[in-house]
Amino acid sequence: MKWFKSIFSSDYGMLGVLILLCGFFSWITLEEQNPEGSEAAFQLYENIQNEDKIGGVLIAGRKTKTGNQFVEQLKDLLKDDGWVVLDTVQGGPPQLANALKGIIAQNKKLQLLACEEVFAKMPVLENFRNSEKGMKGVKILTPETKLWPNFLKSSNLLNIANQIAVIAILAIGMTLVIVTAGIDLSVGSLIAFSAVLATWFVREFFGADEATNFGMICACSLAISVCAGLGLFSGSMIAFFGVAPFVATLGMMMIASGLAYMISGGLSIYELPVRFSWLGRGDDFGGLPNAVILMVILYLLAHLVMSRTTMGRYIYAVGGNTEAARLSGVPVKKVLLWVYASCGALAGLGGVIMASQFRSGDPKYGLMYELYVIAAVVVGGTSLAGGKGKIFGTLIGAFIIAVIQNGMNLTGVQSYTQKVVLGTVLLLAVLLDMMKKRGWKLSI
Amino acid sequence: MYMFIISILTLIIVGCGDGGSDQGEGKENKSKGTIGVSVLTLGNPFFSVIAEEIKKEAGKHGYDVIVVDGDRDVQKQANQIDDFITKGVSAIILNPCDRQSIGPAIEKANKAAIPVFTCDLKCVAEGAEVVSHVGSDNLQGGRLAGEAMVEALGQEGGEVLIVHFPQANSCQLRVQGFEEVISKYNDGLSANRIEVVAQLDGGGVRDEGYKVTEDTLQAHPELRGIFAINDPSGLGARAALEKAGKEHQVVIVAFDGQPEGKQAIKDGKIFADPIQFPDLIGKKTVELIMDYFAGNEVEKEVLIPTKLYRKEDGINDPDLK
Amino acid sequence: MNSENPPYFCLEGIEKKFPGVHALKNIDFDLKKGECVALLGENGAGKSTLIKIMGGAQRADSGILKVDEEVQVWMNPIDSINAGVAVIYQEFNLVPGLTVAENILLGIEPQNFGIIRKKEERKRVLEILKKIGAELDPDTICENLTVAEKQLVEIGKAIIRDAKILIMDEPSAALTKKEVQQLYLLIDDLKVKGIGIVYVSHRLEEIERVADRAIILRDGERIGQLERHELDRTRIIEMMVGRKLDNEFPSNIREPGDSIFRIENLSRGSKVKNISFEVREGEILAFTGLVGAGRTETVRILFGADEKDYGKIELFGKELTLRNPSDAIESGICLLTEDRKEQGLILAHSIKENFGLPNLKRFSFKGWVNKSTESSAFENYVKKLKIKISGHNQVASQLSGGNQQKVVMAKWLERNADILIFDEPTRGIDVGAKFEIYQWMNQLAKSGKGIVMISSELPEVLGMSDRILVMKDGEIKAEFKNDSELTQETIMSVAMEAK
Repeated sequence: MKWFKSIFSSDYGMLGVLILLCGFFSWITLEEQNPEGSEAAFQLYENIQNEDKIGGVLIAGRKTKTGNQFVEQLKDLLKDDGWVVLDTVQGGPPQLANALKGIIAQNKKLQLLACEEVFAKMPVLENFRNSEKGMKGVKILTPETKLWPNFLKSSNLLNIANQIAVIAILAIGMTLVIVTAGIDLSVGSLIAFSAVLATWFVREFFGADEATNFGMICACSLAISVCAGLGLFSGSMIAFFGVAPFVATLGMMMIASGLAYMISGGLSIYELPVRFSWLGRGDDFGGLPNAVILMVILYLLAHLVMSRTTMGRYIYAVGGNTEAARLSGVPVKKVLLWVYASCGALAGLGGVIMASQFRSGDPKYGLMYELYVIAAVVVGGTSLAGGKGKIFGTLIGAFIIAVIQNGMNLTGVQSYTQKVVLGTVLLLAVLLDMMKKRGWKLSI
Repeated sequence: MYMFIISILTLIIVGCGDGGSDQGEGKENKSKGTIGVSVLTLGNPFFSVIAEEIKKEAGKHGYDVIVVDGDRDVQKQANQIDDFITKGVSAIILNPCDRQSIGPAIEKANKAAIPVFTCDLKCVAEGAEVVSHVGSDNLQGGRLAGEAMVEALGQEGGEVLIVHFPQANSCQLRVQGFEEVISKYNDGLSANRIEVVAQLDGGGVRDEGYKVTEDTLQAHPELRGIFAINDPSGLGARAALEKAGKEHQVVIVAFDGQPEGKQAIKDGKIFADPIQFPDLIGKKTVELIMDYFAGNEVEKEVLIPTKLYRKEDGINDPDLK
Repeated sequence: MNSENPPYFCLEGIEKKFPGVHALKNIDFDLKKGECVALLGENGAGKSTLIKIMGGAQRADSGILKVDEEVQVWMNPIDSINAGVAVIYQEFNLVPGLTVAENILLGIEPQNFGIIRKKEERKRVLEILKKIGAELDPDTICENLTVAEKQLVEIGKAIIRDAKILIMDEPSAALTKKEVQQLYLLIDDLKVKGIGIVYVSHRLEEIERVADRAIILRDGERIGQLERHELDRTRIIEMMVGRKLDNEFPSNIREPGDSIFRIENLSRGSKVKNISFEVREGEILAFTGLVGAGRTETVRILFGADEKDYGKIELFGKELTLRNPSDAIESGICLLTEDRKEQGLILAHSIKENFGLPNLKRFSFKGWVNKSTESSAFENYVKKLKIKISGHNQVASQLSGGNQQKVVMAKWLERNADILIFDEPTRGIDVGAKFEIYQWMNQLAKSGKGIVMISSELPEVLGMSDRILVMKDGEIKAEFKNDSELTQETIMSVAMEAK
């Protein structure tokens, strides 16, 4: 069991778990993949060269960027090679059916159907083959498939990052709070509140659909500031009045959720310009989603704050031993206020990203998110007792949760089972963490 | 201890393996493809019936079906759609968790050229292309409910409470249909009118329905009728009536025709339900998909009419005890 | 006492070691039924450890425990209670929100299938209360009881569990004179009923009144025992203090300068009453007295950790407003707390981080910590104070007591404060490290700092200080100039003076 201990004993022990999970899901989602775009076109072209030219070709691709590339590329290649391209199809079954009908109507000889894999399976072809004599001898050619895990497709990996971005950003704030031995239950509600508030500001004050970039930035900054203010309020209840963090933020959770419903009237706010979705859905920097880039920047920043600044030290000190910290001259109250305000602001930012992702603000956003966020932090190795925890551990924790969810969706595990597995992983992570602290002994 | 950890890891693997093996079997039968289904919530039997029917019907045509639970969380559902796209499913069926916010996710599927169908709940977001929508005719159902209420109250009329769930568009249509019939009935009547005295949000769930009914009984002790937009809130209302001892004074008309709702109708606890046919909705959706795959143009929207379900139907219903 | 009455409760050769401390060395102890034995000793003599072993809260490393000739192995307090031995600690183990009856029967409620038989409960509790002569309503919530009443509830709790041996830790500490008299009567009564009592106290006049015998501990050893007729104050004190001054302390010849730190009429609640004193430049001022005399409470106010009710604090002639420890630290006052583990250090964090905590402002620029400055400063102290560590990132909890204390010293020396307050600076520290710490204190005094040292160990007080203040019940009872005529006995008699 040495390997087992050595994997989990390091500061970022959960990284081992993450890698194991990735490996597992890669293995289980190994599937035949269809090449796309010009790669598919060249490959198919090679195959077609083996055929004798006795008739025309119909090329069919999906109505996507890669589908378009495939069709255009193959058409050029075949034309240069002297083939007659009878028609090209870009779209779904109805378009293919139309093209086939057209060819039959013009009484042309169709020899080959060169198409992307999806078309070959469609009942539409079956129907034509059965009903039309001319179609019987048509050979259907599709690009050859190769074995590759669905999980490891670059688009899927980006999906995972994009899907977890909001939770991961919230988890930064939650890590700070939990390191001070506190908890913040209000982040889920703050997401909804911030999303509603930002979109409401845009709708009411910055010209709805015609809002300028400046207007949208103002609206979002305002929403984030208000959330920071609410966090500050929870923090002051905790720092000045000694209210337990659980209770103070439970109250805030209800308040923020109620406010979100009040402002929005229970309905989503969607009168927003298209550009509003830039933050949540744009990918202007080398194909990486903007939200993911923002997440990475925030993690780097948070890591620097926690490891290099006095505030970071103070946060650890307050969580490690409040009394000792106070007697060492740490401004405990200021630290608590700062931490809860930051957590609120990050939740506000999460809400803005979510509003941007869906180009609408809805008071139902963020339901139960606080629990996923806490789970990410705990799985990441931060102790609920405070004083310990690493920012990047939290990122790993968030990714573990995202990978499990994504992997289970890809393998088609039922939702109920997913919950059971997630819960089990959470317990297991905490158990491992406690065992690690006790030097690999099971009980106290 | 290590045994414990290993056994849990095994559990995870088995959990995932289950899903995998479903697919495996499909492959042996030369599956034609996979249809991804994300329902609003599996917590409501209405949607699980739709999902089951889709599975059954698509299986007949040689398609695999993956059903996931949107859990009323639009971000979760959007993620599920992302994952469907990654898997390269042939088609996606949704009950959108939010009719606006699900738009961008559908747009993504559009970009990947995967056809999207909705059932029961609609998507109204601009720019999101849905091939076809199948749903109950809620307006017609609301009218049926109104007629049932008129019938139940008889000549005397009286005060009526609507246990609403205004967030859902379908429920707004139901209430609209209901009110249409009621106001038509009231036309020209000066006495014995049917008055809608309150429209309260029952959240579509039992405990909220209970609460709003209890409160209304305080304000309107003479209440004669309740229209609840679904069975759970109707049954919640019934519980409040029983507690107040007013179950004979007040009649309930609910909606949906879920098994427990039907049972309640048979037992005389609910007067009648315009029932929906989730099985038909599921079946029709798959039919539309197959039609689409076959290269035909399909209708943009198909509405399945509801039918009024009364006590006699309950007595003759073989599915009920 | 009947001489044929054999010892009922016996401890033989009890040994207990803690990291760095040999707490109990080969202790024998015996108690007969119906006898009251006093257990005496200075702070840190090992009394509390012995009591905990008697009550099953701790286990001895070696030695035998016998009840009624039967050897006992106790894993926890429940085992000891089942064997008939009950301890009443200074901090009572009562659930504040429950009633007297509920507390007395906690865990042994008369019940039918989980349903408590209220009548039976009341009956049994009334019976017990009558037996110990307590006029208490069984339905009173314990929170609302006086200390004496709570004590009665504890005794009732023990008796109802059929305790044959009752161990009372400082039972009179928080009682009024009248209540103490009633306690004596109760003890006499319990003795008649055949219950053996171990009575732990500092108050010598009480020992003379209640004890049949006294056993005296010092430095974890059993020094001896005195029979009732031998009980005499001077003799007890001699045995408790015992030691002669030897070369435990470095020489300290110095000339204190002007007064730099003045305290006037400092008060807070009942623990700190009208405290006035001054500290001179280059002086070590010792505060002594018994635990709970109000010494720690006083210095916490000087450090801004607690708020004062009224009073004046002046440093270099300027009055200070101390709202929190940061204010005090900024003004040049620092406190090395008595409890290193709970207040002085963050045990789970690295020693370097602990060192840096009060000094971060010096090591940082606009909030960004310069780690290399911090490291080199710390390395400097590691060398100067000879701190034995495996590396700067070693976790504080892994160090021995002496090295922990050195880390605490390093962290405050870096502040270069004018007033340094040491609260029990050498508690739980081995002899070698003690000497080094004493050297440093002398050196600091020599360099003109004002030093306040709280200590319960009289040899240390006499060996280190220039002046000595003796506190009792929140007041300064006496001030001594530390000259050759001052003895431990003189100080002790002031500290232990009757109420």
